[in-house]
Amino acid sequence: MNPVLRQLIRKGTPDQGAVDALLRDADFPLLNDNDVTFVFRGSADAVYLRCWISGLDTAQPFQALPGTDLWVTTIELPKGSRIEYKFEVVKNGHKELILDPLNKVVAHDPFGANSVCQASGYVRPRWTLHDPVASEGTLHKVKVESEAFKSAREIQVYLPAKFRNNRRYPLLIVHDGVDYLRYASLKVVLDNLIHHKEIPAIIVALIQSPDRLKEYGGDDRHASFLVNDLLPFMAGGYPLIDTVDARCLMGASFGGVASLHAAWRFPEHFGSLLLQSGSFAFSDLGRHRRGPVFDPVARFMNEFREDPGRPAERIFMSCGVYESLIYENRSLVPHLQGKGVELRFEEARDAHNWENWRDRLRLGLSWLMPGPAWMVYD
Amino acid sequence: MTGNAPLRLLLGPQRPDVTIAQALARSGIGDAPIGVISAAWQEAEGDIDDIRQAVARPLTDLHLYHRAETLFAANPALHEAYRQRQDRLKAQQRLYRLRLRQLMIAARATLTADGERAMLAAERRHAISQLRALDQHHLRQVDKINGRYDDRISSESNPQLAEQIAEVKEAISLVDTVLITGGNIVVLLNRLRLFGLDVLLRDKNIVGWSAGAMVLSERIVLFHERLPQGRRDAEVLGKGLGMLPGVVLLPDAKQRLRMKDELRVGLFDRRFSPAICMTLENGSWLLYEGQTLIDSESSKRMTRGGKFKRVRSA
Repeated sequence: MNPVLRQLIRKGTPDQGAVDALLRDADFPLLNDNDVTFVFRGSADAVYLRCWISGLDTAQPFQALPGTDLWVTTIELPKGSRIEYKFEVVKNGHKELILDPLNKVVAHDPFGANSVCQASGYVRPRWTLHDPVASEGTLHKVKVESEAFKSAREIQVYLPAKFRNNRRYPLLIVHDGVDYLRYASLKVVLDNLIHHKEIPAIIVALIQSPDRLKEYGGDDRHASFLVNDLLPFMAGGYPLIDTVDARCLMGASFGGVASLHAAWRFPEHFGSLLLQSGSFAFSDLGRHRRGPVFDPVARFMNEFREDPGRPAERIFMSCGVYESLIYENRSLVPHLQGKGVELRFEEARDAHNWENWRDRLRLGLSWLMPGPAWMVYD
Repeated sequence: MTGNAPLRLLLGPQRPDVTIAQALARSGIGDAPIGVISAAWQEAEGDIDDIRQAVARPLTDLHLYHRAETLFAANPALHEAYRQRQDRLKAQQRLYRLRLRQLMIAARATLTADGERAMLAAERRHAISQLRALDQHHLRQVDKINGRYDDRISSESNPQLAEQIAEVKEAISLVDTVLITGGNIVVLLNRLRLFGLDVLLRDKNIVGWSAGAMVLSERIVLFHERLPQGRRDAEVLGKGLGMLPGVVLLPDAKQRLRMKDELRVGLFDRRFSPAICMTLENGSWLLYEGQTLIDSESSKRMTRGGKFKRVRSA
């Protein structure tokens, strides 16, 4: 049992005042060396921890603390870990998913918000926070006519601070770009990394699909959109370095699949890929077990695994060890290395979420596109 | 500060505080117009309004970056020769780095090894002498590459370059003091060499910050131990303008170095000894008359034991 709770009940059933004091004074969830204890206070028939961590039960039951209205559960959580979770409270036959009322740290994603547990040793990287010293780039919206989709697509374009038309810039294309801006602080990260010369000043095309599960799952139309619509549009409107090594494709989850698929369908168009927690479902025999939305992904990945070719010269992959996709991501590594791709694979004690992807951006971007920090002494 | 030798005022980064005016006032450099070299800012060259406001005296930028770009655009053969040299220099630096990495690993391991004292001392001395030998070898190789291309990109064989050099020479003759800003040191060094500034600046007072200070030294040492990909060992880039022999300048050291890592600091100091490795933070300065340090402000020097101590001027 967590030492704080042990102290609370050391003399038997604690009075209401002692419970109140604990909830007022302690930081929740309660962190110990290699475990974490979640606490819920209230009347309920049952309480479960929902944290979508591969390796743990989907719903981890809480135990009532005798003589109190507290519910507690403890899970193993190694140092440096970061997980997102909710409580499922069951009462009178109704189930409700709620944020942890005792924890103010939350993370947002397109589906809402989750509570965040940061195990001891986890610190939010400084470069993900607004730095008043860093000059800010700008964002603007533009429409790209797409032959592939037979429609216009709105994208956002990031121009670095001190942008000049007479310079040439590398291009980064980001899948789910608006989500990256919203949930992974991408603009702040770009501003900071460019300011500190950890990456060069770059132009970023942020794309957002109206139907990402379809278009990002190995869809040839999307690959064609990137290569035949977006690249010419960007080259025509912005001062880009016109070489393959100055073009990088990036995405997370299905966005990772879309990046790999486009680079595979159109080799020698992108010099580097940044793939975060790619949803690289495949099957060696029979059907994959991830549901019908993954069918086209598995078709592409099985084909890719048969003949990976050389989608890019350099690939940075990252994946959380608490997500089930770690298996697929690890499996991809030898296929790419076997083709002579210069590959870096980073695992993190985190899961399938935007803050995991945010926290890996510095390492990935600066490895794929090293900035001039080494040579610049301002 | 009234001797005949020119003054060299070296400063740290001019951010967050602009300290150049204060340092200039204390240096004894008069309030006459100053020539500016901001080529290290590349496309932002000439953006000197902030400095103009701070120093409150006429400034004229020499536009070395822009001159070179124009020259290269007009003279493809010159540009090609220049690019070939840069490619060779990069290849040389890669090979040097390859060998350096192994020698640094060995030197660090030797410095932390246990054993009989006299035996360890001999091995440590030898490990460091190997590092010095590699640095020297690299300097010679870089020199050879530069020498090989000097003829192809010299003013004798390029009238357009000769014309630009004459203009720069004329502009410099009108000032007693030249200010060199920080920025990209490779770009700065290349532009200074291209326009023969190593000779033209010799008798001028020079005010330089960060990269602009580093280029005055005899040997330029690149360093950054806080890069996202991890620590990187310091590398010799090549010869500087050689006006200040025996010093290695370390701008923004608090940000770029792990100053409390005594093993790394001590090894850095011993590797570049007898040169003195001195920090230049925002607000620091070093003032030389000729090659004699005559004044300083909050600069620190590395010690053999891996610490930093305050620089004391004569």
